[in-house]
Amino acid sequence: MNKWKKKQPETLKPFKRPTLSGYGFGGKAGFFLSRAITNIRQNVFVNVVTIGTITLALLIVSLFLLVFVNLENAVENWSERVQVTVYFDKELAAQELTALHGKIAALSGVSRLTYVSRAEALKRFKSRLRGQETLLEGIRAEILPASFEISLKRSQRDTVSVESFVAQLKKIPGITEVQYGEEWVRRFNSFLNFMRLLGALLGGFLIVAVVFIVSNTIKLTIYSRRDELEVMSLVGATRFFIQAPFLLEGLIQGLAGALLSIILLFGLFEGFLHNAGNFLTFNPVSSGLGFLPLEYLAALLLAGAALGFIGSLTSLRRFINV
Amino acid sequence: MIQLHNVSLTYQQDASALNNINLKIGKGEFVFLTGPSGAGKTSLLRLLYGALSPNSGQVLIDGQNITRLLPSQIPLLRRSIGVVFQDFKLLHNRTVFENVAIALEVLGWGKSDIGKKTMHMLKQMGIESKYNLVTQRLSGGEQQRVALARALVNDPKILLADEPTGNLDEANKNQILAIFKEANIRGTTVVVATHDRRLIEQGHKRLVTLHKGEIVEQMEKETTGNAQTL
Repeated sequence: MNKWKKKQPETLKPFKRPTLSGYGFGGKAGFFLSRAITNIRQNVFVNVVTIGTITLALLIVSLFLLVFVNLENAVENWSERVQVTVYFDKELAAQELTALHGKIAALSGVSRLTYVSRAEALKRFKSRLRGQETLLEGIRAEILPASFEISLKRSQRDTVSVESFVAQLKKIPGITEVQYGEEWVRRFNSFLNFMRLLGALLGGFLIVAVVFIVSNTIKLTIYSRRDELEVMSLVGATRFFIQAPFLLEGLIQGLAGALLSIILLFGLFEGFLHNAGNFLTFNPVSSGLGFLPLEYLAALLLAGAALGFIGSLTSLRRFINV
Repeated sequence: MIQLHNVSLTYQQDASALNNINLKIGKGEFVFLTGPSGAGKTSLLRLLYGALSPNSGQVLIDGQNITRLLPSQIPLLRRSIGVVFQDFKLLHNRTVFENVAIALEVLGWGKSDIGKKTMHMLKQMGIESKYNLVTQRLSGGEQQRVALARALVNDPKILLADEPTGNLDEANKNQILAIFKEANIRGTTVVVATHDRRLIEQGHKRLVTLHKGEIVEQMEKETTGNAQTL
């Protein structure tokens, strides 16, 4: 007869938590989710403000990331020029060549090793002086040295590694003249370090600012709904029960904001930045900027979700006194 | 049902809000708390639903010392206590139905049970036709009836009211008082804090007068079946 009467906790005394009858975990999650969605619909303005703030904040961060990633790539490509060249006065005989090739290749840090014969050297020289071939009249391959060109692995391109590599190289019998543009390598590496430090600093400041702005926005929006929190706690809602819809709401806001910021970034990228590389000539190898790699986009989504969730969690703590 | 032993409460730095209060309210009693503003009526009620903890003394509800409750147990205490306020504390962007149903959602009831019980309660309050209106559109009396429906929908053992008629006209006051009486007849212990003399006179119930945080007078207007002698 009185179906609902049975579900009441019978006495106050044991203070046992009554289980949510009629809800499984799925039902409970479903309830909280539908509550969160209703909340978003009933508080459109507040949600628009929060999502907008998260969108703009993440857009700024992702723009910075886009520029930084492209700069890194460009600089990484420049570092291909960190090359060690071993010169020989004479053309190497086939046997000598294979022996030396083997020994150099055995050193750690070698990524590419090419032998440039005298004939090859002349060919390159000519192609560099295209249009002025007359200058080369009478020049034969013999006046140019043969050489090994050694490219180093990415991790071995800093000043110290290059120097130790050269020292090792010089120990190989038969190698006398080694060139690697010491000054250039040193300058290049200090520039690289400076750039990374600047990036980390700027990025750090940006992230702190973004976290501050987003968490304050969320705090204000939750403050504007503190009566709801109060009523919930008055009718005996547990902390979890009060928080869950708000946390889901925060999660949804964060994901929506992140998604929007990625879409906006892509729009900006396609509209303006895509061709910027052509006139900035950051990158001599491939012109044009690249969009953010997939793992960065995933990280942005994750960051958005975390911002919304953690922002809500910390703000809720202040306003719920259960 | 409700017992306070030597309860004292001090807000930060201020003079004491409640001073050595001893009070016993039996099951099924109807008690008016009265006294001038600042006498400690609201503080006393807040102690009873666990919104405040006394600096010293014991507060027992149904034999349970609620000053020893863990924060996570407070919600369970509140499920057996209904509370209404002068400012109603309704959610203005939600409908009448949603405002009342919230008290049952918290208990984890199924949708159809919530629907039945909520509508039943609204019918008792005489506002069932307005179930789909947002509470902002209602008159003060109607809003207080929604608040009462929310407080009573889960059949609480205790109903606390803090100046429930402060914002209402005479006709509405009488209606609200009738609802309190009816809840009391069904076995709910009712404690109403008010300084509305007329309400108290019409109530014909036990009266506890507070002044500057102390109980200065207790009297029985008329012996009713439920009331206990002091």
